[in-house]
Amino acid sequence: MGKKYENVFELLIETTVYKKKPGRNRHDPTQRFVNPAPSKRKEPLTYDISRRPSNSVEEEPKRNKNKLVSLPSLQAIKQEASQFKMLTVSVKWQKKVFEGIEIDVSLPPYVFKAQLYDLTGVPPERQKIMVKGGLLKDDADWSSIGVKDGQKLMMMGTADEIVKAPEKAIVFAEDLPEEEQATNLNKLPRLVAVLQYTSRHTLSVCSGYSAGLVNLGNTCYMNSTVQCLKSVPELKSALSNYSLAGRSNDVDQTSHMLTVATRELFGDLDRSVNAVSPTQFWMVLRKKFPQFSQLQNGMHMQQDAEECWTQLLYTLSQSLKAPTSSEDSDAVKALFGVNLRSRVHCQESGEESSETESVYSLKCHISHEVNHLHEGLKHGLKGELEKTSPALGRTAVYLKESLIDSLPRYLTVQFVRFFWKRETNQKAKILRKVDYPLELDIYDLCSEELRKKLEAPRQKLRDEEGKKLGLQTKSSSKDGDVKMTDAEAPSNESGESSTAAQQEGTVSKTPFTWMIVCASSSEKGTHMTGIYDLVSVLTHKGRSADSGHYVAWVKQESGKWIQYDDSYPSVQREEDITKLSGGGDWHMAYIIMYKARFVSM
Amino acid sequence: MAPVPDPNNVGGGAKRDEATTKVASKDPKKKDDKKEDDLSEEDLELKQNLELYVERVQDPNPELQKAALESMRQEIRASTSSMTSVPKPLKFLRPHYGTLKELHKNMADSDLKKLLADILSVLALTMSAEGERESLGYRLTGSGGDIGSWGHEYVRNLAGEIAEEYTMRQSEEASVEDLMDLVKQIVAFHMKHNAETEAVDLLMDVEDLDLLLAHVDRTNFRRTCNYLTSSAKFLPGPDDMLVLDIAYMIYMKFEEYPNALQVALFLDNMQYVKQVFTSCSDLLRKKQFCYMISRHGITVELDSEMVADKDDRDMLQDIVNNTKLSEGYLTLARDIEVMEAKTPEDIYKAHLLDGRASSGPSVDSARQNLAATFVNAFVNAGFGQDKLMTVPSDAASGTAGNWLFKNKEHGKTSAAASLGMILLWDVDAGLTQLDKYFHSTDNPVLAGALLGVGINNCGIKSDCDPALALLGEYIDNEDSSVRIGAIMGLGIAYAGSQNDQLRSSLSPILNDAKAPLDVIAFAALSLGMIYVGSCNEEVAQSIIFALMDRSEAQLGDALTRFLPLGLGLLYLGKQQESVEATAEVSKTFNEKIRKYCDMTLLSCAYAGTGNVLKVQDLLAQCGEHLEKGDIHQGPAVLGIAMVAMSEELGLDMAIRSLERVLQYGEQNIRRAVPLALGLLCISNPKVNVMDTLSRLSHDTDSEVAMAAIISLGLIGAGTNNARIAGMLRNLSSYYYKDASLLFCVRIAQGFVHMGKGLLTLSPFHSERLLLSPTALAGIVTLLHACLDMKSIILGKYHYVLYFIVLAMQPRMMLTVDENLKPISVPVRVGQAVDVVGQAGRPKTITGFQTHSTPVLLAAGERAELATDKYIPLSPILEGFIILKENPDYREE
Repeated sequence: MGKKYENVFELLIETTVYKKKPGRNRHDPTQRFVNPAPSKRKEPLTYDISRRPSNSVEEEPKRNKNKLVSLPSLQAIKQEASQFKMLTVSVKWQKKVFEGIEIDVSLPPYVFKAQLYDLTGVPPERQKIMVKGGLLKDDADWSSIGVKDGQKLMMMGTADEIVKAPEKAIVFAEDLPEEEQATNLNKLPRLVAVLQYTSRHTLSVCSGYSAGLVNLGNTCYMNSTVQCLKSVPELKSALSNYSLAGRSNDVDQTSHMLTVATRELFGDLDRSVNAVSPTQFWMVLRKKFPQFSQLQNGMHMQQDAEECWTQLLYTLSQSLKAPTSSEDSDAVKALFGVNLRSRVHCQESGEESSETESVYSLKCHISHEVNHLHEGLKHGLKGELEKTSPALGRTAVYLKESLIDSLPRYLTVQFVRFFWKRETNQKAKILRKVDYPLELDIYDLCSEELRKKLEAPRQKLRDEEGKKLGLQTKSSSKDGDVKMTDAEAPSNESGESSTAAQQEGTVSKTPFTWMIVCASSSEKGTHMTGIYDLVSVLTHKGRSADSGHYVAWVKQESGKWIQYDDSYPSVQREEDITKLSGGGDWHMAYIIMYKARFVSM
Repeated sequence: MAPVPDPNNVGGGAKRDEATTKVASKDPKKKDDKKEDDLSEEDLELKQNLELYVERVQDPNPELQKAALESMRQEIRASTSSMTSVPKPLKFLRPHYGTLKELHKNMADSDLKKLLADILSVLALTMSAEGERESLGYRLTGSGGDIGSWGHEYVRNLAGEIAEEYTMRQSEEASVEDLMDLVKQIVAFHMKHNAETEAVDLLMDVEDLDLLLAHVDRTNFRRTCNYLTSSAKFLPGPDDMLVLDIAYMIYMKFEEYPNALQVALFLDNMQYVKQVFTSCSDLLRKKQFCYMISRHGITVELDSEMVADKDDRDMLQDIVNNTKLSEGYLTLARDIEVMEAKTPEDIYKAHLLDGRASSGPSVDSARQNLAATFVNAFVNAGFGQDKLMTVPSDAASGTAGNWLFKNKEHGKTSAAASLGMILLWDVDAGLTQLDKYFHSTDNPVLAGALLGVGINNCGIKSDCDPALALLGEYIDNEDSSVRIGAIMGLGIAYAGSQNDQLRSSLSPILNDAKAPLDVIAFAALSLGMIYVGSCNEEVAQSIIFALMDRSEAQLGDALTRFLPLGLGLLYLGKQQESVEATAEVSKTFNEKIRKYCDMTLLSCAYAGTGNVLKVQDLLAQCGEHLEKGDIHQGPAVLGIAMVAMSEELGLDMAIRSLERVLQYGEQNIRRAVPLALGLLCISNPKVNVMDTLSRLSHDTDSEVAMAAIISLGLIGAGTNNARIAGMLRNLSSYYYKDASLLFCVRIAQGFVHMGKGLLTLSPFHSERLLLSPTALAGIVTLLHACLDMKSIILGKYHYVLYFIVLAMQPRMMLTVDENLKPISVPVRVGQAVDVVGQAGRPKTITGFQTHSTPVLLAAGERAELATDKYIPLSPILEGFIILKENPDYREE
C-alpha cells in the first residue's frame, strides 16, 4: 500500500518543488517541499499541470483521485495569492520533533500532510494533526485555523497495520450452554488453542478436563481408581466397543454389568460439567466384589484402592476378551499386561528352571535401601521362595529373578506401602520417601531379547531428542552400523509421523484391535523404546490402607495435570506431582501409571 | 519526694501548693499556720519583711507607702524566675491580698495606686477566684510597665483572662481597645520567648492575627507557621482561611516561597500563587514551584508577569504540564529495577494456594479476561510495556492484537483503554500505540481507544491539546458507547482544567432529550470533573436541568447517581456558602433523588474539611431506619469518610464511628461502610482497618463482601502489602466459584500491586497538607459507582474503574540537579514525627533508614537529606526535588 502512495506523492512533490534555487541544500528533507519563488513559477507550473493528468490517472490508486483532481483549483488559489505567506512550524511525532517545516498557507493542508508523509512515512489519511480546537482537515483554510509562525504542532498516526478482529469469532465459555462447556471445547480446535493459551496463564477459559466424582461415603478409593483408569483412552474405546462385541459366553452376569457400568460412568464423566455421582457403578462393583461392602459403624469402610484397581482390571480383562478368544485379543492384557520371565534357582541344589508369567502391575518393594522407584522395582523382581526341591527332597530356598519379556503400553507400578504387622494385628503403612521420575527407563529390567529389540528404537529416540535440542548427532554416523539408513532418513518426516502415530493412538474412535496390534508388534512401524512417561498417580494420605484419603492425579492430553479429589478437579503443576513421593503425611503415591513412548522406524 | 526535709528546700510543699492554688486560697490561713514551723530562717525573714511592707503600705505617708510598694515589687520580681512553684513572696503575701485590695479601693488616683494595682495584678495570679479576672482588671488599671518583668506564668494567666474578657466584651459589644494594647505586649513577649503557640492562641482568641506579622522574625516564623497551618484543620470556617492567610503572609515575608506556595494551593488562591512567582526571582526556585503545582494537579497558565523570559516560561510550563512525569517515574522504576512487565498471573500467584483454588470448573472466561485486563493495566500502569497489550503484533503467537479480542463486547472497551493506562503520562508513545485502534470498525474498540487517550493524557497538559482534538469529534457520535468513551476520556484528561470549550460542547448533551441516560450521566460526571471545585454556575444549571428532566423510571436507574455526583464535584471542598444555592434548588427535585442529591452535595462540599458538625449530621442520617428503597444513606456514609479524611484525629474517630454504624445500621448502610473505610485509609494499610475489612469480606451479604474486597484493594493500593496480598489470594480461592466476587478480588489484587508498588492513590500530598481535588474526585466517583456494584462495575460500565487514574501518582522522591537531571544523593526515610508546637529543633523523623534517591515514600513517611553537599529547594521532600550545591560544603 505504501509503495503506491509513494508514487502519487512523488508526483505531488514534483509539481510543487519543480525548480529549486540553485545551491539550496538538498540534504535537508524538509527543504525539498519549499515552493519556488513566485516569479519563477508560472511557466514550469503550467507545463507541469498540463502533463500531470495523464500521468496521474494511470498511476494513482482510485480513492485518491478526487483529491488530485482538485489540484488545478489549488493552482488557481496559488496564483491568486499575491503576497506569499510562509509559516515555519515544528511538528512533533512520536518522540521526534521535525523542526523548521515550512507551510505554504495558500495550499490546502493536504499538501502539508504530504510533506509529513515524506518525513514520517505515515499516509495522509492516517495522519491526525492537532491544531487548536480539533484536527487539521484536509481542505481546511490555514487562515481560519490560526497556526502561528514557530508553533509546535503535534501529529499522531502510524503506518502500523490496523487491528483486525480474528476472522473466527472467539467463543467464550459463557456463550456455551452449561452442559457443553466442558465437552464441546475439546472438540473445537480453535477453542483448544484458546484453552491452551489461557491455561498457561491459569486463567483457564473453561476446565478442559472432565468432571469429578462424588464421594458416596468412603468411596474415594474407587473414585481415584476410576479417574486413573479413565485416563487411558484405549481402555475407553475398548469399552465403547464392548456392546458391539457382545457378551462372550464365559463372562458372568455381574462382570458384564460391571463392564457396562464402567462404560457408562466414563461416558458420564466426559459429558458432564459438574461432579458425577457414580451410584450405579458402585452398586455393581459391590455386587461383583462383596468385600467392598464391608460395614463399620453402619458406614461402608474405606478399602484398599489397589484391590479395587486389580479387581476392576481383572473383570474388564475377562469381559473385554474378543469373542474369538485368542490370547492376543485381550484388550486389557495388551494394554497393561507385563510378561515376566523368571529364572528360579536353588543355591543348595543348583537346580534351575525358568517360568513365564503375566502380571498387570510391577511391584515396588520398599526397604531400607530403596530410595528410588528403580531400586524398588529391581527389588520387587527378585525374590526368595521356599518350595520342595525335587533334587533335595525337602523344601529349600529358591531364588527367583524375573526380567521383563514384553512391555505394556501402560506400565502400572504399585508401591508396596502396606503390610500386615503381626505384632499389632493391623495393616501398617511404610511412609518412606521413594522418588519416582516423570520419565522412566526400564531398559535394565528387561530380558536380553527384549533389550535387543529395544536397541534400535532407543537409538532413534536419542537422535531425535538430540536434534530437538539442536545437537547434531554424530554418534549415529560414526557407529556406521545398521542404523545408518535410519539416521540418514529425513528426520522431519519421521518425527512427524511418530507424533502422528502417537496422536492417532489417542484418537478415541480408533478400534481397539488396532491398538493391540500396535502394542504387541512393530509391523506398523512404531516401536517401544522402554521409556515411559508418567500419566497418572493414585495417592494415599493417611496412616493405614483402610483409612485416610485416596486422590487421583491425572495428566491430560494438553499436558497439564489435574488433581481429582472426589468431586473437585483442580489444576496442578508438574513439579508438584513429583512431590508425592512420600516421606511425610502428605499425599504419597500408591499406584502410578506410565505410558510407553513410541518411536517410529 | 525527698523523705528528709531539707531546710533550704520547700519545693515539694510549694509544688503541692501550686496544684491546689485556687482551692487553697479560700482557706490560706490555716495552711500557712501549719507550715510556719517548717520555714527556714531565710523564709521567715522574707515573710516578716513582707508583712512589714504590707503594714507600711497602709501607712498614710505616701513616701513610706511608695518605698514599701517598691520593695514589695522588688521581692516579687526577684523570685518569679521559677515556673514550677508558687513564688514565696506570693505565698507569704496571700493572707494580705484582701487587705491590699481594700486599700487599693480606697486609695486616691495616683502613681501609687497604679503601683499597688500592678502588685495586686500579680497577686491575683494565685488568689483571684475563677472567672473574676482580677489579674486582668488590676493590670488594666496599673502602670502598664514591661509585662515580661513579672514572669511567664503571669503573662500566660493574663492571656487566658484576656481571652475570656474579650468574648464577654464582644457579646456586650463593648470596646476592646485597652485589651488590644495588652495583647500587643503579650504577643511581643511570647514571640520573643519561644512561646509562639501561645501568642497564636491568644491572637486567635482575640481575632486579630494580623498582629503576628509584626512580631515574627527569622528565628520563630517557622514554628509559628507550622502551628498556624496545623491548627487550621481544627478551626471552623472561615477562621481557618484567615489563619492560613496569615501563614502565607509570614512565609512570603521571609521569602519561604515553597511553603507560601503550599499554603496558596491549600487556599486554592491563584492570586497568591501568582504572587509567589512574581516575588521570587530565582528561576531554579520557580522550577521547584512548578513541580509542586504539577503534583497538586491543577491547571496554571504562566504569564509574562510570572516568568518574563519566553523560553524559561515554556520550560516551566512544561513542568507544570507534567510532561516530564513519565520520565521521572521511569527513572524511579529503573532504579528500583521493576521495569520487567508483570502478567496478571504474577499477581494472582495461584501457585501459593494449595490445591483446587486456582481454577475451578465454573470459571467465567470473559469476566476473568476482563479482570486480567484491568489487573494488567493497573500493575503495569505507566511503565509503557506489558505482556498482553503492547507485545509486538508480529510475535509468533499473535497475542497482541488478540488479547483485545479475548474480551467480549464492552470488555473490548476496557481492553483498548488499558493501553492508555499502560502508557500513562507518556503522551507521545501512548497516542502512537492507540492510533491503530482509531481505525477499528468495531465500536467498543473505538470507544476504548478514545477513553485510552483520555487516560493517557490524565494530568498531562499540552499546547496541542491532543485529547481535545482527537476526542472532540466523537462527542456526538451516533453510537452511545463511542460517545461515552469520548466523554469520559475528556473528563479524565481535562479534570480540573475548567476548559470553556469543553463546557460548550458537553453541556448541550445534558439537556438533549434524545440522548440516552448513560451518555447524560457520563457527561454530567465529566463536567463535574472538568469543573471540579470551581462552583461554576452554568455547569451547575445544566446538570440541575438534566436532573429535573429525568422521568421517574430513569431516576431509579443506577447510573442516575452520577448526575448528583457531577453536581457535587463542582463544589468539592468549597463548604457551605458556595453550595447553598444549589442545595436549595435540589430540594425541589423528585423525592427519589432529592435526598441522594442532598447527601452528595453536603459530603462533597465539606470533603477534606474535617468539619465535625457535618460528620454528626451525616451520622444522624445513617441512624435512621428507613422502610426501603431509599438509597441516600450510601452517599451519607461515604460523606463521613470524605469529610473526616483530612486529619489523623478525625480519621481515627470516623473509623470508630463507622464500626458502630456497621453494627447497628441497616443493610444498605453496611454496604457503604467498607467503602468509607477504604476512602479513609486509601493507600494506607492500617492494620485495624485491614482486619475489619477482612472480616467483612466474608460477610453473608455479597454486596458487603464485594465492597470490602474492593476496599481492601484501596487501602493497600500501590503498597504491595504482603498481608493484604495474602488475604486477597485466600479470598480468590474462597470465592473461586462466584464469578462476581472473584472479579472483585482480582480488581483488588490489581489495586494492591498498582504500578508494581510505585504508586499511591492518596489524594493528600505535601506531608498530608494538600488535597488534590482531581484525585479526590476520581476516588469518590469510583466509590459512588461501587455503591451499586451489580449494575455498574459488574455490568457493562466496568470502565468507571479507570476513574481511579485521576488519583494515581508516583509515591516517590526524586532528586534532580540544576539541569533537572536525576542525581542520586543519600536520604534518610523514616516515620514522620509531629513537631508542631515543640520547642527547639526536634527531630522530624524517627526509625529512619538511609537510602539513596530516588526512593519510595510510604504513607506517613518523611524524608530528609543525609548530606550537606546539596540544599533542597523545597522543605517538603516529596515528588521532584531540585537540589542546589551547597556553597559552604567542604569535603572531609
